[in-house]
Amino acid sequence: MATREDFSRAAESGKVLAARCPKCSALHLAMTRFCPACGSRGLVAEEVEGRGTVATYTIITVAPEGFEGHTPYAWVVMAIDGTPLRVSGFMAGVASPADLPVGTRVRVAGHDERGVLIERS
Amino acid sequence: MEKVCVLGAGSTPYGKLGESLVEMIVGASAGAIEDAGIEPREIGAAYISNVFGIADKQVHLGPVIMSRLGIPERPSLSIESACGSGSVSFREAYANVAAGFYDAVLVTGAEKVTHTGTAWTTTYFAYCSDFFYEGSAGASFPGLFASMARAYMSEYGATEEDFARVAVKNHDNGMLNPKAHLRKKITVDDVLSSAVVASPLKLYDCCPFSDGASSAIVCSERFAKEHGGKYVEVIGSGRGGSPAALQDRKHMTTIDSTRIASEAAYKMAGISPSDVDFAEVHDCFTIAEVVNGEDLGFFEKGKGVEAAREGKTARGGEIPLNPSGGLKSKGHPIGATGVGQVAEAYEQLTGAAGERAVKGAEVGLTHNFGATGASCAVHIFRGA
Repeated sequence: MATREDFSRAAESGKVLAARCPKCSALHLAMTRFCPACGSRGLVAEEVEGRGTVATYTIITVAPEGFEGHTPYAWVVMAIDGTPLRVSGFMAGVASPADLPVGTRVRVAGHDERGVLIERS
Repeated sequence: MEKVCVLGAGSTPYGKLGESLVEMIVGASAGAIEDAGIEPREIGAAYISNVFGIADKQVHLGPVIMSRLGIPERPSLSIESACGSGSVSFREAYANVAAGFYDAVLVTGAEKVTHTGTAWTTTYFAYCSDFFYEGSAGASFPGLFASMARAYMSEYGATEEDFARVAVKNHDNGMLNPKAHLRKKITVDDVLSSAVVASPLKLYDCCPFSDGASSAIVCSERFAKEHGGKYVEVIGSGRGGSPAALQDRKHMTTIDSTRIASEAAYKMAGISPSDVDFAEVHDCFTIAEVVNGEDLGFFEKGKGVEAAREGKTARGGEIPLNPSGGLKSKGHPIGATGVGQVAEAYEQLTGAAGERAVKGAEVGLTHNFGATGASCAVHIFRGA
């Protein structure tokens, strides 16, 4: 099974590490051990292109530890193109909801101490 | 299965309290013991819910509490399920009495965090999320619910003003609750002009960080009758779960754990949502109360804001939500909240709710979840 490090490494190269069920073909994020759709084991790692649209987001002004220097920033949930998957992450430089309508095209742009990095594409 | 009852309840006020975590738990527990008219020795076991005991330098709370109550030989269990710890703990108390393991048990929830400050609480509370995906990428709890709020606005055309009405209503209710943390009347404009915490949620959309403890005595019907005090019957109990991370949910504005838990509780009670006279629901943020009203089956999906706008959820409305003031005004000591809701249901159904009483109420529901609704328990009570 994929580790957090595998997931982070994939994000560093703009990918989302997913896992496909060998039995029902459902696609999940990589760290799922058993298929939530059918219960099968032996999910197979599959890299998906980290491109998609903003599903929802927030702009954080009161930040948790480690993020104080980044406010305001967005925490974004993006829907990945051509899959049922969503992935969430950090987006810098968003100050107002007008800057980021739901549906905006975005991409996975890396991974660092701020988690998965998401940028406008 | 034994019929299970609540025979007594006790709570500290909710707010910034000077007592230690242990003192609060002992105080609320002693209150419940006295309210029930029982002796500590009649308690077979205790369930203590708490999340951040570490903030007040005490974990392994159970034995410490049992020692202070003079019954150190009795078994105890400390339970953590984030902000849903109290209801999950109540469920364990219920299940153990229903199964016949004990005639009577103590369930007490407590939290003490206000001395740590906003930075500590914001950081540590984020550990209750699916931290790798959420907290570690900068999502705070207000941020996670704000994301749910934006999805709801985008899907159903709701406005920030719609959410603000929930806060105004709960503050109105809290004004009548002598133990509430924020006893302050507010207006829609106050909410809309308060500081943004995580857009679109503002300070007054958020419940406060509170200290406090709540307690209840849970027992068999036979035990309750023998003791002669006022009691309410637990007629339904349900639990459910949802994907821990928001990104993994089929629908980001539906909390599956609430649906699953409430469906189980309604089925056990043999009632439908329309039979409920009032509900204490988990309004950690205004958006949560809107979503909960829908997931509990009181309103259709997308109609929760309309219900708030039309006053259906007010104390004299069709289905009063949070007559206590809810987490928003009464306060949210996270380990205590679920038990505090039970204490409110007990007071409402035994004629002890004073000015905030829901007139003619016979059936009450409590709904409390952990994190963004990843864990949930729902209970239904009927006045005896």
